[in-house]
Amino acid sequence: MENPSLLLVDDEDHYREALARRFGRRGIPVVQAGNGAACLEILSRGTIEVVVLDVRMPGMSGLEVLKRIKEQHPEVEVILLTGNATTVDGVEGIKSGAFDYLTKPVEFEHLLGKIRQARNGIRRAREQKADAELRRQMEKQMIATERLASLGTLATGVAHEINNPLAIIKESAGWMRQLLQKQDLADMPRRNDFEGALEKIESSIERARRITHQLLGFVRRNDSAISRIDVGRLVDDATGLVQREAKNRNITLEKKAASDSPEVWSDPYQLRQVLLNLLTNALHATQAGGSVTVGIEKTADGCQITIEDTGEGISSENIEKIFEPFFSTKTQGEGTGLGLYVSRGIVEKLGGRIEVDSRLGIGSCFRIILPEFVKPK
Amino acid sequence: MIKIPTRVMIVDDEVDFVEMLSLRLKDVGEVVTGVHSGEDCLAGLESGLTDVVILDIKMPGMDGIETLKHIKQKFPLVEVILLTGHGSTETAVEGMKLGAYDYLMKPADFSDLIYKLEGARKRKDEQEERIRKAEEKLLLRKTGGM
Repeated sequence: MENPSLLLVDDEDHYREALARRFGRRGIPVVQAGNGAACLEILSRGTIEVVVLDVRMPGMSGLEVLKRIKEQHPEVEVILLTGNATTVDGVEGIKSGAFDYLTKPVEFEHLLGKIRQARNGIRRAREQKADAELRRQMEKQMIATERLASLGTLATGVAHEINNPLAIIKESAGWMRQLLQKQDLADMPRRNDFEGALEKIESSIERARRITHQLLGFVRRNDSAISRIDVGRLVDDATGLVQREAKNRNITLEKKAASDSPEVWSDPYQLRQVLLNLLTNALHATQAGGSVTVGIEKTADGCQITIEDTGEGISSENIEKIFEPFFSTKTQGEGTGLGLYVSRGIVEKLGGRIEVDSRLGIGSCFRIILPEFVKPK
Repeated sequence: MIKIPTRVMIVDDEVDFVEMLSLRLKDVGEVVTGVHSGEDCLAGLESGLTDVVILDIKMPGMDGIETLKHIKQKFPLVEVILLTGHGSTETAVEGMKLGAYDYLMKPADFSDLIYKLEGARKRKDEQEERIRKAEEKLLLRKTGGM
């Protein structure tokens, strides 16, 4: 047994010490206290599970100590020792939350049995609590996953439906363009206004088309090419593409990795898209003078790529939403709110996962965890 | 040079889309008919006045792929360009294996469409040319001994 988890509290030193010796002979280490104040002091250190408490003590009485214990350490179980004639104290004690009471003189085996019962109860309660916590976590995660899945289905459905009217708008605008080139419209009044408006329609069609196609982008399954990838090279590729932007924003972009780069079998083009996405996000979140660091680590069955920035961070209310489609904190028109949604879809399709840690005002860290070989879902 | 018009049939259940695309293609010199279902498409092809069909994959009733199969069975020389949503690239590839000339993603770029239309038309012309030559040879052989 590691730390003593049993505390004996009694003002009669001889009695207490004798009891402690008997526990010692059974291989059960105990801590002793001669009065209530010492008892509470020891409890505050936090390793004690069960207290054997004498009711009749000078100063703070046993029942009063019991009340304090239950106030301050509700998880600690208390077994009361009462004098022969004072079972009333025992009953009172149980009402105040004691586990049980025994009358002096105590039969040692009986006491030991009670202590075991109390301890088992505590462990059971602890396990139940851990179980409940685990279940709560899993439920939360499942709700999030389901929510994401249904949002995804909805989003792709909407994207498909929008493509049709979009095609009509596009052909109509194109038709107007063709008409404007006709001889009989050469001297049309306010022609510039007309053309300007048409241009806006055309650029908006393009924007909407980009959104719907991006949204439907990772739905493709057949045209991904799995090959052996040097992760270090892949990261160099991706950082190379955003290096200029980092420079323009006066942000240090660097790679931190061991010399022998891990290799994985995966889809290099899709992974590069994910990396670009995360890198661009990191750069956008970081102020001038900050830094973005890309790390590569080999893991037991694959690798982990981390992208860490010293940016603004993500608030805890947003962090659960960042992987949802159309969630964006960028200004309208700058972000589609699809980058992380699509990235996560890609990485999960490749058998990996994306994790994120973030602290407001300090920065965010995204981790892409990839298996050595793609595991088809 | 005088442009020889391509005879195009647009098949899409989106009436407005058919109307607008028809206007644009007619404007650049093609001969266009528009229909709104696979059944009407097949009926329209009976007259033999179509070179290329622009066929939407997603239609209620007989869908694009089904229509394509019938076209290739009954009118194998008619070329087909498929119109797809982005997520259904696989369907488009399947369609090309069934004999479609090419596919375009909605909303499509007009110049892409024109380019593919020309390619499809060319393939049909060349095929018809080969058939004509083969028929000539056949005719010569039959009458050759006289």
